Amino acid sequence: MVRDPPERKARGMTRSSTMTSVQPSVSAARAVDLVKSYGSGPTAVRALDHVDVELRRGEFTAIMGPSGSGKSTLMHCLAGLDSVTSGSVWIGALELRGLSDKKMTALRRDRIGFVFQSFNLVPTLTALENITLPIAIAGRRPDQQWLNTVIDTLGLRDRLHHRPSELSGGQQQRVAVGRALASRPEIVFGDEPTGNLDSRSSNEVLGILRHSVDRLGQTVVVVTHDPHAASYADRVLFLNDGRIVDELRSPTAESVLDRMKGLES
Amino acid sequence: MTTTPTQADRPSRRHSVPTGGQLSKHPMRTVSLRNLRAHKVRLALTLISVLLGTAFVAGSFVFTDTLKKSFNAIFETSDKGIDARVQPTHGYVAGVPIGLLPTIEHVNGVRAVEPVIGASMILVDDHGKRVDTGGAPSHGAAWQPNNRIGETPQMISGHAPTKAGEVVINDGAAKKYNLTAGEHVKLVTQNAPITNATIVGIYHVSYDTGGYLGALLSRDQAMSLFTDGKHYDAVNVAAQAGVSEDTITARIAKVLPAGLEAKTGTQVRDDDTGGVTTALSFITYILLGFGIVALLVGTFIIYNTFSMIVAQRQRELALLRAVGADRRQVRRSVTREALIVGVLGSALGLAGGLGLAYGLHALLDALDLGLPSGGLVMSTRTVLISIILGTVVTVFAASAPARRAGRIAPVAAMREEFASPSAAGLRRRTAIGVVVAVAGAAATVAGVANDSAGPAALFIAAGLVAVCAATMLLSPVFARWVIAPLGRVVGRPFGIVGRLARTNAVRNPRRTAATAFALTLGLVLVAGIAVIGASWKASLDKLFENNVTADYILTTDYNVNVPVAAAQAARKVPGVASVTELQDMMASVDGSVKESTAITGPITSVMNVDMDAGSVSTSGHRMIVSRTYADDHQWTMGTKHTLEVPGVKPITVTVTGIYADDQLIGPWAVGGDVYRALTPTNRWADFVTLVHAKPGADLEQVRNGLKNVTNDFYVVDVRDRSEFQGYIASQINGLLGLLYGLLGLAIVIAILGIINTQALSVIERRREIGMLRAVAMQRKQVRRTVYLESLLIAVFGAFLGVSIGLTFGSLFARTLRDQGLDTLSVPWGQALLFLGMAAVVGVLAALWPGFRAARTPPLSAIAEG
Repeated sequence: MVRDPPERKARGMTRSSTMTSVQPSVSAARAVDLVKSYGSGPTAVRALDHVDVELRRGEFTAIMGPSGSGKSTLMHCLAGLDSVTSGSVWIGALELRGLSDKKMTALRRDRIGFVFQSFNLVPTLTALENITLPIAIAGRRPDQQWLNTVIDTLGLRDRLHHRPSELSGGQQQRVAVGRALASRPEIVFGDEPTGNLDSRSSNEVLGILRHSVDRLGQTVVVVTHDPHAASYADRVLFLNDGRIVDELRSPTAESVLDRMKGLES
Repeated sequence: MTTTPTQADRPSRRHSVPTGGQLSKHPMRTVSLRNLRAHKVRLALTLISVLLGTAFVAGSFVFTDTLKKSFNAIFETSDKGIDARVQPTHGYVAGVPIGLLPTIEHVNGVRAVEPVIGASMILVDDHGKRVDTGGAPSHGAAWQPNNRIGETPQMISGHAPTKAGEVVINDGAAKKYNLTAGEHVKLVTQNAPITNATIVGIYHVSYDTGGYLGALLSRDQAMSLFTDGKHYDAVNVAAQAGVSEDTITARIAKVLPAGLEAKTGTQVRDDDTGGVTTALSFITYILLGFGIVALLVGTFIIYNTFSMIVAQRQRELALLRAVGADRRQVRRSVTREALIVGVLGSALGLAGGLGLAYGLHALLDALDLGLPSGGLVMSTRTVLISIILGTVVTVFAASAPARRAGRIAPVAAMREEFASPSAAGLRRRTAIGVVVAVAGAAATVAGVANDSAGPAALFIAAGLVAVCAATMLLSPVFARWVIAPLGRVVGRPFGIVGRLARTNAVRNPRRTAATAFALTLGLVLVAGIAVIGASWKASLDKLFENNVTADYILTTDYNVNVPVAAAQAARKVPGVASVTELQDMMASVDGSVKESTAITGPITSVMNVDMDAGSVSTSGHRMIVSRTYADDHQWTMGTKHTLEVPGVKPITVTVTGIYADDQLIGPWAVGGDVYRALTPTNRWADFVTLVHAKPGADLEQVRNGLKNVTNDFYVVDVRDRSEFQGYIASQINGLLGLLYGLLGLAIVIAILGIINTQALSVIERRREIGMLRAVAMQRKQVRRTVYLESLLIAVFGAFLGVSIGLTFGSLFARTLRDQGLDTLSVPWGQALLFLGMAAVVGVLAALWPGFRAARTPPLSAIAEG
């Protein structure tokens, strides 16, 4: 089911060897021959089994798969949240292997945005403070114009000075999206970003992510098990047993559901 | 779990399911025990706070019991064989007249009598160096040649002293102070001229104690050095076989003149032991006091730990409720954990107390305080009190969290977040706090308004307790008021890290309050003592500045006062205009025993005495009285008072002057002639000797002259006014240092509390910290956030403590204004130093929690565990 892996792999390799330090590649993030195992010896579990993947700039990618397929692990490795067993991961032209914790943190802070399933806002800070948190931690001033654009996109202007406990789940997740977008990262990762939301709030959040890709040129990757959520993406990657087994362009909820049924059978 | 199966059910149950790996008959107990095992670190810190408190309580008991037993053993030996002792009733009585000895000896049933002749004596070795025994006694006494009572010293080398100029030394002192037979020494006593002697032997007694120096002289020389030649200090009596202590004592009492009494041997031993243990009891009280403070501080830490554990286990406890445990069972499971921690902590504390007592004993031994050595005494009382106290405190502190645990609804098992404590509870707490604060303020005002020192201090103490309680109740509210502005200032340079630290610090105001309050309590005491100490120094300084005009002050640091011969010698130093001696005057005045001062020499040249009436002179049979004493006793100008000392012709003096209260002179004063007439010659001595130099005299020359002449007395120190002030200040600082050292313990426990709270907070916020790590935060920044949060909590606690301490220290100092503490001095610099130290302590306490927080993997934001 894997579509022309040798060719993709070859393309990826060439680009990396020729362009790393020259100019930004068209791929926002890339994994080559990625292996992630837990434990060792006979009890070792291989969560990712020689995965090659490229996430293109300005695209909205969804990663899907049944429980235990390795989709979350793939995202964690791509985002520099988890270490890899072997293979390599690039964010833009930067390979993550061997980066110190300090550089890795700075990378996440400056070039990556995150949206978590359970919002993960700082309860003592206001919505606006949560949105600008990574910028403030970096000791920078937010780009006001961009910040305004983000806030307008989120539709949260009248909620900026509320604490998370005073916001609905959907609003909290929109704040989390705002936090991910505020520092204009190269890529935004979402780990089941609508997993805790009702369908109306889900649509709002996914709409914002879609909007950020279409209008703001953002690159977005989400892990989801919801075909409806995946239908917002430009491209859907299917994982099973730690391998990429399928890919779908311009998905609809129905086509995604069909492929998922194919996987599970 | 909720219903007990009937006896009949049980066998069938056992058969129907395999028993291995199942919960026991007491599932809740199993949960408690497993839970304790699962949270070793957090419980270890709780355990330490219980341990420290009980260790001090147990240590104080063990120390006291050990001393009592050891001294009992010593006096059992040294006072062995004494069936009765004849001794003066009061300190002003010269002693037992020599002529009375045969009378006592002839009392029916007396087997032997033996006079007690001895006094404090300083030995100077052949290098001209004083043998400094530290706190241990340095004592001279008579060698009893035909000893028939008690233990005879055994000569282990040389021979017994037989004539003047011969002295023998105990082997312990000989070894410790490098004294050898044949060595030429000088004997320094209070009044006798310095005497040359040779060590002719070393002896041994079984009751020797560390550091003690016992020099024995021939009886005649002892009489001339230590007595007035007419009296013995006391007379020991041994009864014939078959005559009881009581009988012989009663018989002897009948032949005694006024001023003498007979005591039984048992009384003598009790008095001797009692005297020593009373002298050391302050150590016991201080230890006990700090043990209680430590336990009090520990209470807050235990409370906090259990609150946090309950909060963090909310889902688990709710699950237990959901599967059928009732409220009481859940509450009990927490109480059971507290019980185990309490028993374990106090048992360890008991062991710690033994160690503490041992260490203290070793320390005092190293300081040569002359303590006997002996096994530590661990009485049943010590064990019971320590264990019960430690356990009760722990269970009490955990009772509120346990109740809270019982109130957790089963549905909470399904909730994501920890429920935050209700605001309503905080409102009630605040309301109670305000009421207690008002009561405390009222008591304090009542104390301040009260003019007599005793009740005033009591009211203020009650006020202090209430204000501390109110502060504890109100500190969640204070936390917001104080930490918000403080955090803004301190956190500003750190940007968002500072802001996160500040908001985290007030996130759970109750927890912050309990953590900070441990430090508050310690600093109330530290700051209070600092104010009293500073005021004390300032008052003495002022007293000195205003009252003493002497150019030089002669005193001694030893158990002997300034010999009158030293004052005589000082009078002859060129450039000295006059020398004034202040002496302890003790006599029966108008029938009751009184103690005050005698003045030999001109007073106006060395002191400013503010006269309300009459003149300051005490020459002849004149007496001057302080205003307060005169008012209290209805003494006025011209009233006559009779000073009596047994065996001496009474002297009647007339009040010829009334002075404004003076700390140095005391309630009243008579002249040197009266002093010398009433006081046995061997006791003549000055507690202070004041020297006035001639106008225009070269002060350096006068000082050198004084030093030269006093050098011959070996014990006299010459200081000018500023040196003397420095000397007094250093004495006070030494005392304050001891108190600060012990209060350090309360601070240590408070630090443990901060470590505990911060460590638990870090665990609780694992997800959030993971998120911060995932989205932006460097490890360094995570650490810094924890440090700053801890710093804010510590400074907040210290700020409350210092504020209360300074206020109440000042108020207590004020109640002592009639006792000479008339200058209030608030040590602002020191207060700032305390706050700075609290900041440092806060950061230090957060080192480990900060380190742990920084190691939180970013993935913790997503996955639990």
